[in-house]
Amino acid sequence: MADVVIVVALLLVAAAATCAVLVRDPVRQALVLAVLGVVLAVLFTVLQAPDVALSQLAVGSALTPLLLLLTVRKVRRRARQEGRGP
Amino acid sequence: MNGWEFAAALTLSGGVGGTLWGVATGPLRRRVVAQNLSTALACPALLLLAQGYDRPSYVDLALVLALLGPVGTLVFARLLADELAEDPPRAWGVTYAAAGVGAAVVLALCVATGPSRALVKLLAVGALLIGGNVIASRALAGGFRGVRRG
Repeated sequence: MADVVIVVALLLVAAAATCAVLVRDPVRQALVLAVLGVVLAVLFTVLQAPDVALSQLAVGSALTPLLLLLTVRKVRRRARQEGRGP
Repeated sequence: MNGWEFAAALTLSGGVGGTLWGVATGPLRRRVVAQNLSTALACPALLLLAQGYDRPSYVDLALVLALLGPVGTLVFARLLADELAEDPPRAWGVTYAAAGVGAAVVLALCVATGPSRALVKLLAVGALLIGGNVIASRALAGGFRGVRRG
């Protein structure tokens, strides 16, 4: 009975990670990855590792999506320019 | 297993589980709203866990999430502005429902804590959580057009 929170957090992490793999579009994948970062931080908290959870929150909730979206933007812009050229 | 942990498990399974479903399916406008709500609901869960484990230092986690969650949503609002401008998300009902959950949790914890420095910290987390959530929702709905074009 005492492990209900751990089980819930583990199930959420498993579901979020599976969704992150199954979603194919990189932009939508970045959204799922942001949620996965938050859920992982909750799992680390439940497992009594708040320091790990703190760094996971700092990286996972804002930095990873930012890097992914900037990369997608740059790749798309380059593809558009090459399509316009000769 | 005390009542606080049970409430945290309920918030996680019901709230965050629901937003996980929302973020994995449907159109883009629903996904960004669900991503915003996931941070707005995980923050009360972290507060409840801190109270359930009787570790006041765990409140720092909720504080960081209340600060960085809206920042992450603003990243999406800024970089997906073109896609969202064609099909703007309007989900004030669920936004205010999540803000209400946050306010209820913060109030319950304030009553449990009693007047002290921890109470001030809790109130700061609550204000950051609700304010950031509403601002991020407004940015997603295209409320700051002048800023977005900048």
